[in-house]
Amino acid sequence: MIEVRSVKKKYGRVQALNDFSLQVPRGALFGLVGPNGAGKSTLLKILATLIRPDAGAALIDGKDVRRNSRSVRTIVGYQPDIPGLYQQMSVEQYLEFFAGAFHLRGEQKKDAVRRALEHSGFEDRRHDEVEALSFGMKQRLLLAKTLIHNPRVLLLDEPATGLDPLARIQLRDQLRALQQGGVTILISSHILSDLEDICTDVVFIGAGKNISLPNGARREANAESSSLLCEMEILGDAASASRAAETFAGAKVMRSSGKALQVEISGGEEQAAALLHHLVTAGIAVTRFTSRGPGLEEVYKDIFGGPRP
Amino acid sequence: MNPMIWKELQQRMRERRAWLLPTIYLLVLGAIVTFVYYTTVVEESRYSQHELRGAEIGVAIFFGTVYTQLGLLLLIAPALSAGSITIEKEQRTLSGLLTSLLTLLEIWWGKFVASLLLMVLLLVVSLPVLSLGLAMGGFGVREMTMAAITTLIIVASMNAVGLYCSSLFQRSIYATTISYAITIALVVITAVAAAMWQASHRGLGQDEFAHFKVWLYPNPFFFLTLAFAPQSKLFPDWYISAGIFVLIGVSVGVLTLLQLRRAGEKV
Repeated sequence: MIEVRSVKKKYGRVQALNDFSLQVPRGALFGLVGPNGAGKSTLLKILATLIRPDAGAALIDGKDVRRNSRSVRTIVGYQPDIPGLYQQMSVEQYLEFFAGAFHLRGEQKKDAVRRALEHSGFEDRRHDEVEALSFGMKQRLLLAKTLIHNPRVLLLDEPATGLDPLARIQLRDQLRALQQGGVTILISSHILSDLEDICTDVVFIGAGKNISLPNGARREANAESSSLLCEMEILGDAASASRAAETFAGAKVMRSSGKALQVEISGGEEQAAALLHHLVTAGIAVTRFTSRGPGLEEVYKDIFGGPRP
Repeated sequence: MNPMIWKELQQRMRERRAWLLPTIYLLVLGAIVTFVYYTTVVEESRYSQHELRGAEIGVAIFFGTVYTQLGLLLLIAPALSAGSITIEKEQRTLSGLLTSLLTLLEIWWGKFVASLLLMVLLLVVSLPVLSLGLAMGGFGVREMTMAAITTLIIVASMNAVGLYCSSLFQRSIYATTISYAITIALVVITAVAAAMWQASHRGLGQDEFAHFKVWLYPNPFFFLTLAFAPQSKLFPDWYISAGIFVLIGVSVGVLTLLQLRRAGEKV
């Protein structure tokens, strides 16, 4: 559905995208992850036909974004990282304008606006001025506007930034529903837990290059490196549990505070079970024990060298 | 209807200046007409030997109104148009327009027409003031029509210049400043250049005026003056001036579209 082939883009001396390639299958929900300045927004802008790549090709549904920008726009919905709204318009006028801007006329336009108002929960506030809406509501209105022409591809640049937890949950649910409805979504975000929760795959971008492994390959790589993170809660002091854990072969205590203990072990689930057995045998009362492979955060740290100062 | 025009008008009509502008405009025009009437009647009756006729007052009111009107519209045009595109950049709404199915021409046309319609509104509200002079005689519908057409051409051209400045800059303040600078250049620099040329080329007779006029063709007030020539003498001067203003408008219109094409890089 989305195909990016060796795309290059330079702003003055800064190489924003450097031979970037990517394939997003139809109906996928892809996360785009990378530090600030990695080229995420540039990639989304190219796909949204806002800017032209210097070299390479970007195709959406087989259409080149450079040569067929108009037909690409009919199937793409784009939400920029710092989106703006017409503050003096009412919610309904705002949606009507964008329905018109996507050449919807008459009944088609009315239906699109009615649907957008319904889905975004603005039916009772259709006459409110945009200026009077809360930040979360404005973000909802923006997504409603982005979806007004029923796009088959959604490009979202940091849509969850600044949203409160409830609004983030609603956004996640909405994106899941859209994906289940067949919409292909490419979303850039710094909120890794959200991406981990909803994305079918995640792409890592650094210095304008695709530096990620696909999910399957990442899982295999994880299996090969066979490292697991065991999180547990102890009845009593975790310090004694920490000492006991350190005597287990291949274990490394990552965090120990209060009753919580986090231990990294080399090996798979069998080793995790052995660690639990080791602790219980050592007389540690374990009240909760979970083990998981490295999450998006750990992978991110591995790729980009840990948290920034 | 182009949704851009509708959107622009909706937004502009919600602003305070939508009613403030025509009010101030009419107050200034009213004050000028009163001043012209007073000076014509009082001064003429004091110094003139013959009895003052209504037509003379009518002509004075007419010229006072149309020239003041042009001056006011030249002041207003940059304020209405130069912020048109920059505001989309400032509010971060331009990307929404550029990724919609609106063509660049539709975006430009929407903004151009919306600004121009507001200036047409000002022209229309001044009609009662002009009709006051019309009742007194001395000028007719032809002069009124020519004044309106000429003013409209000038204002449309300056409107396009304002939009071009708006596409060039990221901030409204810069776009408006440059737009005013261009307006001042057309009004003042052309007049000064013509005066300097005349001072340095005295004694050329008929040729002197022909060359002198060249400097003034792009001057809005000179163009308006040319509109009052008899029908048979409109050609070529009025047409040359009209051509220059149309050319300015079309050229900056094309340049604006080129700027908008590159605007995606900056949003």
